[in-house]
Amino acid sequence: MDLHSLTPVLGLLLQAEFDPIREEIGRLQRNFQGLIWGFIAAWVILVGYVLMLTVRERKIRREMDRLKSMIEETEKK
Amino acid sequence: MRQKVILAMLALAAVLLLPNLYVISMLPDEMRQGQIFRIIFFHVPAAASAMIGSAVALVASVLFLLTKNFRYDALAVAVTEVGLAFLAVNLVTGSIWARVIWGVWWAWDARLTSALICWVLYAGYLILRQALEEPTQRATFAAVYSIFAFTDVPIVYFSIRWWRTLHPQPVFFSKTGSFPPDWGRAFMINMLAVFLLYAALTMIRLRQEETQREIDYLRRTVHAI
Repeated sequence: MDLHSLTPVLGLLLQAEFDPIREEIGRLQRNFQGLIWGFIAAWVILVGYVLMLTVRERKIRREMDRLKSMIEETEKK
Repeated sequence: MRQKVILAMLALAAVLLLPNLYVISMLPDEMRQGQIFRIIFFHVPAAASAMIGSAVALVASVLFLLTKNFRYDALAVAVTEVGLAFLAVNLVTGSIWARVIWGVWWAWDARLTSALICWVLYAGYLILRQALEEPTQRATFAAVYSIFAFTDVPIVYFSIRWWRTLHPQPVFFSKTGSFPPDWGRAFMINMLAVFLLYAALTMIRLRQEETQREIDYLRRTVHAI
């Protein structure tokens, strides 16, 4: 196989490597992915915090009920 | 009554936020940044809310030291804790934006570093509270610490004006940047929605703190009996 017959293939390979359109598409994709990850991260932090508040709320209510029943029982005695 | 106010605030925040997400997604891309610029619609309101929260914590801490009224202490801890979550949103979204635009997750420039120090300082405030048992001592130490921690907040705000930083210059309340009117409108709606969310979460946290005080009182009663 001579070098001349390989030239179009090499040309295509080089084009694939340095194609500015492909590069721009890649940049736009990274840009969009960054935006989506940013929104996801923001909501994950907020939802995580809300879940933390919910767990604490339950714990506080349980403790409150326990103490109230203890006081009631002590007063009955 | 407070429950209804919290629900109304959350509902209003959702009503403002959900259609606004569609409006934001339909805005044209920013010329240099592309789509990632939309992160500003959450990044800045989260920072502004946390900053207002830290100012409220400062006022509440000063009022506690002056009056020794524990309601101010409860308010200070509530706004600080919610503010810490919002500041985390600000730092993480900023870091993701930086990865796309600057090519790095983090840069030790004045704005980023001072904001991170601010987060660490307020996290320290919550750790300090966990470490102290006696309520009056805990509230007094925490109030003094909160006043000290606030000294970093003006540094965070003015850092991009005082020093040359990588962080973009302000686009609001400054001569250097401006938002087109339709972008500004969507931004302000988001800002209002995030403020409402912040206020609602603070009220929930405040109620928990008040209930916790009631529990402490009941515990003492049980021990006395």
